[in-house]
Amino acid sequence: MRRIICIGNRYRPEDAAGPAVHDRLTAQGELPAGVELIDGGLGGLDLLRLVEGAARVVFVDSVRGLGAEGEVITASAAQVATLASAHADHAAGLPYLLRCLPLVCDGALPRITLVGLEGAVDEASVRRAAKLALNLALDDDGDRAPVVARGVAP
Amino acid sequence: MSKTIKLHVDMNRVEGDLEVSAELADGVVTDAWCAGTMFRGFENIMVGRGALDGLVITPRICGICSTAHLSAAAGALDRISGVEVPPDAQRIRNLALMTEHIQSDVRHTFLMFTADLVNPCYAKHALYPELARRYTPFQGSAVLEVLRQTKHVLEIVAILGGQWPHSSFMVPGGIASVPSSADLLQCRHLLRQYRSWYEQRILGCSLERWSQVQSSALLDAWLDEREEQRSGELGFLLRVCRALGLDAIGAGHDSFLSYGSLDLPAGSAVVATSGSRQLVPSGVARGTQVRAFDPAAVAEHVTHAWFEGEPGGVHPAQGQTVPYASGAEGRKYSWAKAPRYQGVPAETGPLAEAIVAGDPLLTELTQRSGASVLLRQLARLTRPARLIPAMECWLAETTGEGDLYRAPGAIPDGEGAGLVHAARGALGHWVRVEGGQIAHYQIITPTAWHASPRDSDGVRGPMEQALVGTRVADVANPVELGHVVRSFDPCLVCTVHSVQGGRALGTARVGGPT
Repeated sequence: MRRIICIGNRYRPEDAAGPAVHDRLTAQGELPAGVELIDGGLGGLDLLRLVEGAARVVFVDSVRGLGAEGEVITASAAQVATLASAHADHAAGLPYLLRCLPLVCDGALPRITLVGLEGAVDEASVRRAAKLALNLALDDDGDRAPVVARGVAP
Repeated sequence: MSKTIKLHVDMNRVEGDLEVSAELADGVVTDAWCAGTMFRGFENIMVGRGALDGLVITPRICGICSTAHLSAAAGALDRISGVEVPPDAQRIRNLALMTEHIQSDVRHTFLMFTADLVNPCYAKHALYPELARRYTPFQGSAVLEVLRQTKHVLEIVAILGGQWPHSSFMVPGGIASVPSSADLLQCRHLLRQYRSWYEQRILGCSLERWSQVQSSALLDAWLDEREEQRSGELGFLLRVCRALGLDAIGAGHDSFLSYGSLDLPAGSAVVATSGSRQLVPSGVARGTQVRAFDPAAVAEHVTHAWFEGEPGGVHPAQGQTVPYASGAEGRKYSWAKAPRYQGVPAETGPLAEAIVAGDPLLTELTQRSGASVLLRQLARLTRPARLIPAMECWLAETTGEGDLYRAPGAIPDGEGAGLVHAARGALGHWVRVEGGQIAHYQIITPTAWHASPRDSDGVRGPMEQALVGTRVADVANPVELGHVVRSFDPCLVCTVHSVQGGRALGTARVGGPT
C-alpha cells in the first residue's frame, strides 16, 4: 500500500497546506490503484499506525525555514527526524514521529518522503505539491522522482 | 535583594507559545508570570457558522484532546436540544473519551515529564544511571515501551467513531457511527492488551491490588512488597521523585475544581462515589474539603490578558473574546484569560478529579503536604487504574443493538454548556444558537485554568503560584521550573505543526514583563 498523508490544520492559514493538498487530490477524482489518501489532520504521534504496513508514505505539510517563500521542497525521513525535540510536546509533530518510527515500527519500515510547502499557500503551490506527492507515492525508485525541489541539508 | 533573571526553560509548547518569567531571590522564586504568547481566535471563528459546525471545527483545536472537544461540543448541543442520549451511545462516547485519557496519561508521563529527569544536573545522583536507562528520549526502555503500547489503544476511538483522526461521530442526540459486535470485540481485545501491559510494566501488580493502596502507609508497604512493584515504572518514578524533592515543589493555591465528566448511562453496573451521576464527579475543593460545583460561578478575567473587558470576571456564557493589544504593556501580559471559580483560581486535572472524588490515597497525601509535582504526576499515572474497570464494564454492556441516536430535530434557539474533562482537566464549551447559527461560542480549556495570568485582584494563576517558592539550583539550567510547569501538562495551542528548520526548537525565551 502507498499512502499520501496530508497533515495540518485547515483552520490555521500557516498550517493549512496539507489539508489544501488533500482537498485538491480528492477533487481530482479516483487515485491510482494502490494509493491511499489520508487526511492526517493533527494526528501527530498517533499517525504511527498509519505509517506501519505501507510500502511507501508521502507526508504533505506546511514547512517554515526549509525553503524560499512559495517553494515546494522535499525531504527524507532522516532529514526531518533531525529536527525532533526531546520532548513529545504538543508541537512535536512530524519530526518526532519520524525520529520514533524506526525504534517502534511493526514490520518493515516504509520509504518516506516529506513534501513541504513553504510560506503562504496558493493555488500554484498546492497544485505543484499535489502532483509531486502523487508522483512520489507511485515512484518505486526515488532517483527517478520527476520534480525535486531544494532539499534540507543534513 | 531580588532581581528578575531571564531564564531559558524547555517548555511543553515550543515556538514561545508559553513564556514563563520568574523573579528570584537567593535562588528561590519569589514571583512568576505565565504568558500565553499566541492568540487563537477559535471562538471567533465559530460565530455565524451553522449550529453543528462546532462538531467539526473544535476537535481541530487540539490534536491530543480532539475527542474531548468533540464531547464538549456535542454536550452543549444536547443541552440546547433537550435531547437525552441513549445509554449505549453514552457508553460509546465515554469509552472514546476515556481511551484518550489512558493513552495521554502514560504518554505525558514518559514522553514529556520524565525527559527532564535525565537533565545533566542530576548526573551525579545515585539513581541517574537508571534514570537514563529508562527515560532518555528515543532510547529509554520506558520511552520505547510507551511508544509501542500506546499507539494501539487509540484504535478504540477509530473503531467506535468510524474514522480517525478528527472523527466527528458524537452528534446531538447520540452518535453517528454504528459499531458492530465484531468492532466491540476488537475494542475489548485492544483494551485487554493495554490493561495487561499497564499492570505488568507500569504498576507491577494487578489493578485490584493497586486499588487496595488507600493510604500513604499502604503505599510505602506496596513499594516494598514485591520487586515488580518497587521497580515497575510507577514504583521507580515514586522513588526517584521523592529522592529529587519533587514532592516538595509546585504547591499552588491548594484549590481544585472538577466539572464532572462521563455521565453514567441508565441501567449500568458502573456506579460512582457519593451517588454522583457521573463517573468523575463534579465538585470544588479548598485543600481536601469538597463542596458542590456551581457552573454559574465560573468567570473569566481579562485585566491582565490582551483582551477588551472591564475589571472583574464575566461568565463565559456572556463573555467575549475581543483582542486588545496596545497601550497596556506592563499590565496585560498574556493571550490567555484568567478563569476563576467564585473569584478564586483553581487547578483541575487528574489530581483535582481524585480529590473531588474522595480518592483516599491522594486525599491523604494532599492533606499531608498539599499539591506537588509528584502528586500531580502520581494522580495522572494511576488514573488508568481508576478508568479501565469502568471501560471494561461499559464495553461488556454495549450490545451494538441498542439505540445509538435520538433525533433532536433542528437545533432550536437556546444556550447550553458542554462540560467534560479532557485528559488535562476541565473543558467547557458555552454555546448559544440563534436562527440555526452559532451566535456565541466560548471555550475554557484546562490549560486556561492552569496557565492563567493574574486576575482583577492581582491574584496569580495556578501555575504562577506553583512556581513561587521553587528553589533553582542553577539559573542557567532551571529544570525545576520545567518540572513544576510540566506537572500541569500544559497545552496552549496544539495546532501549528509545521516542520521547521533553522533555529533550535525546544526552548522558549523567558523574561519578565516590562
